[in-house]
Amino acid sequence: MSILGIPILTFIVFFPVAGVLAVLAVPGARKNAVRLTAIVVTALEFLATLGLLIGFNPAAGDMQFVERADWIKAVHAQYLLGIDGISLLLILLTSLLTFLATLSSWKAVENRLKEYYIFILLLEVGMVGVFVSLDLVLFYVFWEVMLVPMYFLIGIWGGERRLYAAIKFFLYTLFGSVMMLVAILVLYAHYHTFDVLAIMQTGTFLPAALQTGVFLAFFLGFAIKVPMFPFHTWLPDAHVEAPTAGSVILAGVLLKMGAYGFVRFSLPLFPEASRKFVPLIVVLALISIVYGALVSLMQKDMKKLIAYSSVSHMGFVMLGIFTFSPMALKGAVLQMINHGISTGALFLIVGIIYERRHTRLISEFGGLSARMPVYAAVFLIITMSSIGLPGLNGFIGEFMILMGAWTVNPVWTAVAATGIILGAAYMLWLYQRVMFGKLENPANQGLRDLTVREFATFVPLIVLAFWIGIFPKPFLDVLDKPVEKIVRIVNPDYYKDIDARAALPAAAPSSPVPADAGGPTKAPVAAGAETAKMAVSEVR
Amino acid sequence: MDSASYAAGLKFLRPEIALLVTAALGMMAHLFLKKKGARIAGYITLLGLFVTADIVFLTPLSPGGFFSGSLTADRFAFYFKIIFLIAAAMAIGLAFKFFEVQKYEAGEFYYLMPLALIGMTTAVSATDLITTYVAFELFAIPSYILTGIFKKENRSAEASIKYFFLGTLSSGLMLLGMALIFGLTGETGYAEIAKLLPGANAHIALIGMILFFAGLFFKAALAPFQMWAPDVYEGAPTPIVVFLSTASKAAVFAILIRLMLTIFLPFQASWIQIFQFLAVVSMFWGNLAALVQTNVKRLMAYSSIAHAGYIAIGLAAWGETASMAVLFYLVVYLFMNAAAFGLILLFRKGDGFGENIDDMRGLARKSPLAAASVLVVLLALTGIPPTAGFMGKYFIFMAAVEKGMIGLAALGALNSVVSLFYYFRIGRAMFMEEAPGRVAVEPSFPVMAVLVASAVVILALGLFPSFLMNFASAAFLK
Repeated sequence: MSILGIPILTFIVFFPVAGVLAVLAVPGARKNAVRLTAIVVTALEFLATLGLLIGFNPAAGDMQFVERADWIKAVHAQYLLGIDGISLLLILLTSLLTFLATLSSWKAVENRLKEYYIFILLLEVGMVGVFVSLDLVLFYVFWEVMLVPMYFLIGIWGGERRLYAAIKFFLYTLFGSVMMLVAILVLYAHYHTFDVLAIMQTGTFLPAALQTGVFLAFFLGFAIKVPMFPFHTWLPDAHVEAPTAGSVILAGVLLKMGAYGFVRFSLPLFPEASRKFVPLIVVLALISIVYGALVSLMQKDMKKLIAYSSVSHMGFVMLGIFTFSPMALKGAVLQMINHGISTGALFLIVGIIYERRHTRLISEFGGLSARMPVYAAVFLIITMSSIGLPGLNGFIGEFMILMGAWTVNPVWTAVAATGIILGAAYMLWLYQRVMFGKLENPANQGLRDLTVREFATFVPLIVLAFWIGIFPKPFLDVLDKPVEKIVRIVNPDYYKDIDARAALPAAAPSSPVPADAGGPTKAPVAAGAETAKMAVSEVR
Repeated sequence: MDSASYAAGLKFLRPEIALLVTAALGMMAHLFLKKKGARIAGYITLLGLFVTADIVFLTPLSPGGFFSGSLTADRFAFYFKIIFLIAAAMAIGLAFKFFEVQKYEAGEFYYLMPLALIGMTTAVSATDLITTYVAFELFAIPSYILTGIFKKENRSAEASIKYFFLGTLSSGLMLLGMALIFGLTGETGYAEIAKLLPGANAHIALIGMILFFAGLFFKAALAPFQMWAPDVYEGAPTPIVVFLSTASKAAVFAILIRLMLTIFLPFQASWIQIFQFLAVVSMFWGNLAALVQTNVKRLMAYSSIAHAGYIAIGLAAWGETASMAVLFYLVVYLFMNAAAFGLILLFRKGDGFGENIDDMRGLARKSPLAAASVLVVLLALTGIPPTAGFMGKYFIFMAAVEKGMIGLAALGALNSVVSLFYYFRIGRAMFMEEAPGRVAVEPSFPVMAVLVASAVVILALGLFPSFLMNFASAAFLK
């Protein structure tokens, strides 16, 4: 598949670069023209990524749209792109959130517009690039490329402590990633290729001691990005100081890269080390869930509250990943998307009142629902989506993760479930303090409700929140095969019985895939069936 | 030596002869053309460099040594000759702007430069102890003069004296090392020594090597032989610093590599350890000391110590990958440093230049093109893709990992993170802080040309490094 004669993945990675040139060509004095150009470019990019759906075959387990060319021949680095269902969803999320973030910046950013949009577009190149690269060097290049625009977005258009937050973000993430670079080189010294597909095809893994070291180096890179407790300290600073669009992209996409890294690289490349570190990582994930939620409860600043809630939510994702069951892993990937939707939306929500009032302190507000009914409704839906109300997206993801975790260790589920309760507490309390009660602060008297443009930014997110909540099948379907592939490597025992049964001639449905978490009503049932199977296999 | 073989050898010296003619013409222009003589000498030299570059490409490679085996014109020397010429051309471009602001055009600069170049091109071609030493001094002495070319400015004079004394010390150490080697073997040619040295007293040979190398380490500003560098770089005129920190350093590394691969090859186990030590000390010393600098020239001096450390990783991990990586890195380093020092000439402050980080505030608004170019250079210095600085480090770390020096690679990677902090203080000042009133930004043509050209080269090599990699690997073909 191609667009304008360019293979589609190359096109979607580098189209924003063309957008940069377009933004440069617009005279800087014509501010609205600059804004419009950026919005059109990101919208086109989103449409182009939707184009992926046309040729994408959800039933295929292999990488699709693969592009392969020599890049640096002498060191066997290739220009190797390809996507599966996991990357597909994340790419769609990226292009959608970038578009919405650009749209939301119309009024929020007034100075140095051209640079601002150029950095957003360059950021998009890096983000999409990370999700499509299957060569480790190429992946690393995109992974780092993305840091620079984010550094400037925080440092130039951020809040008061922007300089500090920007460099802290940069240093933390760079530290994690350079260790990963060394690990990538160690991998290369062993396999003599950077091609992830080729490495996986060998079916061999690094020797145990080396694998542990390399896994830990990757872990550092990814865990800082996720971020997991205790590597999360850059996150509140970066989030609070970043401009709204920066926060949306940071929470919506950048955090996903760490989790994506675990799914795409750590699990399939270092399965033994991954299994070995399950106890450590799960404990860190559980701490992240509970600690993030507790700290959120204490926050006075709305942005900070949402920032810490991200730590908690990403803890769920990590728990799901390191449960190594298809159910939980699918839930984790879905939860990445969900978190992108709901937290992205929450940052937009905070951005809207920040634009009007230039404060984010919860105590400054109260009783806004009377003044801003549409805003209140949007906020409510997103709050519910964030706390995982059934019928909305958050529920499906969290439920699948908890179910998956239950089969491995019920204690994990129990601890993680407290995170959900705490999550409901801090979000509802936030909503209550901001929206209900009497409108006492005179500064809030003149607040305007959402404009059409602002409302428009929320529409796609709300639609998605309901869609995933009510009918997640299309999203889960694309994840089936890639997740199965990963689980087969990292947790082969899981499929032993299923395969054995499938091999029997009597076994009626020969699908090796255990229970699709199918349609809307079927989901919990199917999940239950899977759990039962797992339980059976454990008993044996 | 008979005249026929002499004449045969002479044809390999065409680049040096061209440089000599350039220097002579420049000197005459300076002497006889009163008013604009100095500037015309500058144009002559610039033109001479381009002509010499052509001649370098047209000059055939020598089949082996010539002039009784004291010189060779191989691919390795060829590679470095091109580096020197590019460095000199950039330094001269920057000098045009520099002298304009200083209101005093030192014409000597323009013809001392080709003379120093002759020393460098000879030094990288030398395969004989005496030739090496003479060539080494031939580029060292003009650099002392160039450093102190502003006699009346205290900083420049102080830098010159310091550089001279420590330079002499390093030459002395080198000479002592050579004397020991000569004493053991009774030969001066590398090829003969290489045959005899393994049979000689290993302890004395080792001491000879260490002394010989120590002299070179001084010139390369590898810690713990680096103490002169910050003072000299800070005091010397900026265009000269560009030349010294790139061309002169490259020449020293070239001599070092040739020695490593010829007479000291039997001592590989020893020099691997030496380079590992130097790499770690240089990287940490350079990067940690740079953290607290406010003067960009000083900061870049420490940064170049750190970069010498990264190169030393490559030397320690010497092999097929490392040889390519080191030569690749030296070219990238040339462009990074030329631009990083050159950027100072954008900032006009009173009678001089704004050398402090604070003077660079707000550049992004005053000259977005300059700021964007500098940003590329800073990313490259830190080693962040998609720049050639990343590729260079990546190849070097790769070479280290291949040789099992994972710890060394990890320390190198860690140092990149440290360096981010100080490089991006410049980036922060340019992009995130408000411009000070007392500094004017003057994006003059030669300075912008150096900045933009460097940025373009760095980006191009970062995205498509293969071209230079092939060129660098070819330098080791026989």
